[in-house]
Amino acid sequence: MKKTRFDRGNLKYYALSVLSVSLLLLAWFVYSSSANAILSTPMEVIERFAGVIRSPIAGTSLAGHIWASLKRVLTGFIVASAIGIVLGICFGWFETFRDIVWPIFSIIRPIPPIAWIPLVILWAGIGETAKIIIVFIACVMPVVLNTFAGIESADPLLLDAGKVLGANSRQMLLSVALPDSIPTIIAGMKNALSTGWMAVVGAEMVVAREGVGFLIISGMDNLDISLVLVSIVIIACISACLTFILNRMEGVLCPWLKLENK
Amino acid sequence: MAEARKQITVKGICKSFQNQEQSLQVLQDVTLDVNENEFLVILGPGQCGKTVLLNILAGLESADSGTVEFANGTPKYGEIGFVFQRYALFPWKTVLQNVEMHHKFQRVPKKERREQAMHFIRLVGLDGFENAYPAQLSGGMKQRVGIARAYATRSNIILMDEPFGALDAQTRYQMQDEILKIRSAEKTTVIFVTNNIEEAVTLGDRILLMSNKPSSIVREYVPELPRPRQNTDRAFMDLRNVIAQDMDLAL
Repeated sequence: MKKTRFDRGNLKYYALSVLSVSLLLLAWFVYSSSANAILSTPMEVIERFAGVIRSPIAGTSLAGHIWASLKRVLTGFIVASAIGIVLGICFGWFETFRDIVWPIFSIIRPIPPIAWIPLVILWAGIGETAKIIIVFIACVMPVVLNTFAGIESADPLLLDAGKVLGANSRQMLLSVALPDSIPTIIAGMKNALSTGWMAVVGAEMVVAREGVGFLIISGMDNLDISLVLVSIVIIACISACLTFILNRMEGVLCPWLKLENK
Repeated sequence: MAEARKQITVKGICKSFQNQEQSLQVLQDVTLDVNENEFLVILGPGQCGKTVLLNILAGLESADSGTVEFANGTPKYGEIGFVFQRYALFPWKTVLQNVEMHHKFQRVPKKERREQAMHFIRLVGLDGFENAYPAQLSGGMKQRVGIARAYATRSNIILMDEPFGALDAQTRYQMQDEILKIRSAEKTTVIFVTNNIEEAVTLGDRILLMSNKPSSIVREYVPELPRPRQNTDRAFMDLRNVIAQDMDLAL
């Protein structure tokens, strides 16, 4: 992780960021204000947002909708991380296991998570379990792939060091290869959280009575474009918050990484 | 050193590496003895297979042919200390945790392995830095950790693979003094690989010169120089010039 060019001219970077976002807002404002636009103006969206906060939608408050989605994402994400890391370690460390299971995994891997929705509903019904399974499918792939890649590409020099210090094969895995892979695994988990968040919205758009995906659908059903836009902004904000939290967690879990970047 | 006891006997080691197009012979009939408690320097030009030889001694690689015999039986992993040129410290472990790693692998109780590790951290002059991460240390300090970690295995044999190769000249001199100090405190056999003639003459009880690929041992020198050796001494410079000439021939 080298210094990127963003680090050099911090002020310039921030100034240009503010400028580009302002231009986007301006373009939105100009377009939505024209007579035949099928888009709410920023003002209407803000008003709608205030409305959503005041009065519940389909019997659930805004916070309730957000929490419903978050709960599904976090449950699916945590289960997927646990299973994905174990599976990835098995792929990376045990050749026979990899040779047997990898072909199956490669077939399933490219299928978009939301393509599973009909099957999952048949198996698990339309309750919470179905949505969590969809999130799980979406989250588990990046975690498995990154853990696998991390273990497989563990630094041979450090593996040699572990060997000459007398590590047995279990210690080589748990004390050398796995810690060496932590940054790669965390990168996979970040990726998983954002794909999980995408999947939950997809799942909720098909079958749900609450959640941010449901907000989008109810906006669509009632031709409430402002509500759709409010939901989109909320989805973006929460996604950014989740990424922020995982970045902070990376700093806590891997204090040595920050030192290396200095 | 007529009464010196042989600790390692290396006979006729050959090793070649294969890639798609060709096979590259790195070691050809390498034969040498290592005496107990001597500081043996293996000197050779860059890329001549010195590292491969050390890896074979450490059991990290196997020879195509030839034998390595240890007087006290072939050691298991963890029974030979190894100092790597590029340090090979675990970046997620502090200095203390790196040094105590061998004992942790051996399931030595925490208190005892802490004490052991601190002993060697003090020996290399890093007390006060035991809770630092490798990324916070300079190259010289990192290699001190590498040396402490190797000695902490309490092995009778320590292999050092160009340990100061990545350091600047000033730090290199300091570390050479340091390694001699450590050695007078902890008596072990050291096999030290380098491509630096002056370093070889400064440190070695005995120096073996290796030729370029395919490499074998071509000369042996036993510096009759009092310690501490000064690189401005007449005899020091003479020996250095002799080796330099031989090395040119070996290339």
